[in-house]
Amino acid sequence: MSAEIFGSWIVVFLTLCIFSYLFDDNPFYKAAEHIFIGVSAGYWAVIAFWQQIQPNLFGRLWPKLEDVGEGSVLQSAWYSIYKVLNFISTGFGILDRSIFPEGGIKGYDEIRLMYLIPFILGTFMLLRLVPKVGWLARWAIAYIVGMTAGLRFYSFLNSDILIQIKASTIDFSSDWGTIINGLIVFIGTMTGLIYFFFSKEHKGSFGTLSKIGIYFLMIKFGASFGFAVMGRISLLIGRINQLKDYSTAEFNYATPIISIFIIICLAIWSFMDGGNKNESTA
Amino acid sequence: METLKNIFIKLGSMDRRIIFLLVGLSVLFPLLKPDWFTLPIRPKQHSQIVFDEINKLEAGSKVLLSFEYGPSTKPEIHPMTIALLRHMFVKDIKVYAVALWPDGNFMSMIAFDEVAVEYNKKIGIDYVNLGYKPGGEAVIKGIASDIRTLYTVDLNGTSLDEIPMMQNMNNVEDFDFVFSLSAGTPGSKEWVQYATDPKGIAMSTGCTSIQVTDIVPYVENGQIRGILAGMPGAAEYEELVKTELTSRGLVIKSGEATSMMSAQSMAHVVIVLLIIFGNISYYLTRNNKRKGRK
Amino acid sequence: MFLKRHVPLFIVVIIGLLTLFGNFIDNDEVKNFVDNDATQWFDIIASFAIFLGSLNMLKLQILKIIRKHKNWQYSILAVLGFAVAIFAGFFYRGANYIVVSNVNEINLLPIAELLTDELHLENQNTVISNISDAKDGYEIPKIFMTQSGAEAFMEKLDKFDVNMEIKSKKWGIHLQAKGSLFSWIFFNIFTPLSSTMFALLAFFVASASYRAFRIRNFEATLLLVSGIILMLGRVPIGELIPWWVVAILIVFGVGAISAPWIKDKKIFFGLVVGGIVLFLSVGFSMGWNQSPPQILLIPVIQDWIFDYPTTAGSRALMIGIALGIVATSFRIIVGIERSFLGE
Repeated sequence: MSAEIFGSWIVVFLTLCIFSYLFDDNPFYKAAEHIFIGVSAGYWAVIAFWQQIQPNLFGRLWPKLEDVGEGSVLQSAWYSIYKVLNFISTGFGILDRSIFPEGGIKGYDEIRLMYLIPFILGTFMLLRLVPKVGWLARWAIAYIVGMTAGLRFYSFLNSDILIQIKASTIDFSSDWGTIINGLIVFIGTMTGLIYFFFSKEHKGSFGTLSKIGIYFLMIKFGASFGFAVMGRISLLIGRINQLKDYSTAEFNYATPIISIFIIICLAIWSFMDGGNKNESTA
Repeated sequence: METLKNIFIKLGSMDRRIIFLLVGLSVLFPLLKPDWFTLPIRPKQHSQIVFDEINKLEAGSKVLLSFEYGPSTKPEIHPMTIALLRHMFVKDIKVYAVALWPDGNFMSMIAFDEVAVEYNKKIGIDYVNLGYKPGGEAVIKGIASDIRTLYTVDLNGTSLDEIPMMQNMNNVEDFDFVFSLSAGTPGSKEWVQYATDPKGIAMSTGCTSIQVTDIVPYVENGQIRGILAGMPGAAEYEELVKTELTSRGLVIKSGEATSMMSAQSMAHVVIVLLIIFGNISYYLTRNNKRKGRK
Repeated sequence: MFLKRHVPLFIVVIIGLLTLFGNFIDNDEVKNFVDNDATQWFDIIASFAIFLGSLNMLKLQILKIIRKHKNWQYSILAVLGFAVAIFAGFFYRGANYIVVSNVNEINLLPIAELLTDELHLENQNTVISNISDAKDGYEIPKIFMTQSGAEAFMEKLDKFDVNMEIKSKKWGIHLQAKGSLFSWIFFNIFTPLSSTMFALLAFFVASASYRAFRIRNFEATLLLVSGIILMLGRVPIGELIPWWVVAILIVFGVGAISAPWIKDKKIFFGLVVGGIVLFLSVGFSMGWNQSPPQILLIPVIQDWIFDYPTTAGSRALMIGIALGIVATSFRIIVGIERSFLGE
């Protein structure tokens, strides 16, 4: 069986394992769920390392320089750390070179020692796993939080507040239809914001405006609901389409065979599980 | 009449597995028998705007295409990607791909593998794939200020200095247009906030259905020019591209999203009917209880 | 206390202020640091956070196995899955490819034919031109997971007098090479699991809508009506709904709104039926069958709802959320908000 056909059987099996949850929470689903947790954690870690840490962190600390041989004593000492790291990463010389290629990492053309700071902070982040020194992760988290706050303050103020307010203006020089639609958007935005103002009690004319705001928000939520349904159905169509593609002779009838297998197993499990439940309640 | 009422009341307590079966069948039948369910696709205003924006670009224009989706949202967004690449390649637009999601790497590779061959486009000359960088909005900010600080090589390990179309490309201002294929965060919103708004670059987006109502304020005031909303948006764009390519005498494969719209329509009808029946059942049950109390 | 509390607060304040004022300070060094290096540091630390998440997951699953908690057997699968992904990422490249060189004119066409056939390539002429243009050897567009797989393919080209060499994609690039072990795991394990998890939600949305979506008051009615109009108007089936169905629904809607004021059921029923008959008569007499007014077409109504009331509601929410984020960011930058320290 070729890798492609084997792969297609794996795809169908895992897909149907997840879909089996529609019947009930069962061992197939639990197994698939745990595989997903493990594989996705490994996948993310591998990608983060090879796409960011190796080229952008190690690549800046130990770049492949043109004339390493003629470097200063300090540079040689610095690159000896690189050699030690390589020795450890190759299982003390057993495996092939991978993370730390010969002579440095190609990409940048000068050593940037200031990148020791994110390296140290990143290491502190990992120390969260060790209870006694887990508090060091706060320094790394503080950097992330501080930077996110700084980035978002400006960007949200500009794009989500100022420009949105500017966009709510009405062009009274255009035709009646545009003016009415513009008024609807303006009134909807204002009354929607009034609804979220909880420092004043919602009664009287303020309450009426707030109620109009709720109506606009309900229309928005209804639209969101419609789009949510649309999105989920689209994803379901994608999966069922792939199962349909894998049900042909080209893939050795993967879908029907695995479906029948899972249905039989679930029937047996359901019968045995029902029997166990009766015994426990008896 | 009483019998009908009782049927509706019983429907109210229907096992949810029957609902699952109905939804599954409503999707399966149109896929198994597509000829039975052919429906016309009429592009909406927002898809038309996206199409017009790309159509306005001349040969040699530089478009930054950002991949922010993965296999979980592939059915909605990947068809848009394919249609978009076909449109851009036919117009000889230079495509620069980046990814803000790790899965975006694979999605971009699959897309280019499929479409570049159709139009005989060469990597490094007609398109370049810079790949994924973790960091979300920080990456967008980096691209906005200096792309070469973030990227030194492309996805295949080729140095940017060796790629002809990367000459004089230093930040987002060197692009003529930005297109975000977005399934969540980071996505279109972040592109607007950190790159296109501050730098005044035109952008458009294709996103999952669930994000559409959150993005619509940007679309209405022109911060984002048009939007391809989910799979229906992808089908509409496929229709527009098909018309354009056919008018140029080119043969085009039928789009994936178009073939799935019948299933989408049937599923929507089934869910609407379920909601209506659910409400009828609710009201009849409630009236019965009130009569019982009296 | 100083190290655990004050140093992190100091970092937050300095970095927050630097990032914020970086938008306004016109000094090249500061701008360069904020726009480039500071964002790179963020990206690097974010990557370490990903490692933390992965290692934490591993730690929890291993503890579950050691302590034999409920369903501990499944945790073995989680650990195995993680191990396989790490193996494919760091220990086994599995991204071998063949470079063919020294292809003479006579062999060019048969080699191109063989490659097009074996690899199901689209265009044989493209293959021919690629082989001709390749100065340092033509890289066959197929990745082999094992060396033996590559050697087996090379045997097919042995009959042509060409130089062939098996090479391996560089570490790091091997992740993206389609055909490598890592990409096989991505397409055959990660992708179906992740896609199907999301696809499951379609069923639960339908079930929840059926059971919980009730018209209890006017707000719920608005929500339901706009949702239904959108669901039908966005898909092709919306084009098929005739104008008179919409007309009847409008009359029902008006009737529902005015029902509290009309106590007599017979009058109410008469008004609704009369309204429908009147509406349809006017419509048929004015030739709406051939060209119905836009306002009675579901897609047009849907477009209007999407462009105006939905935008208004979305904009109000967006501004409200943005105000909250700006306020919270300000509190974080000045050191008032300390929840991230666990306080």
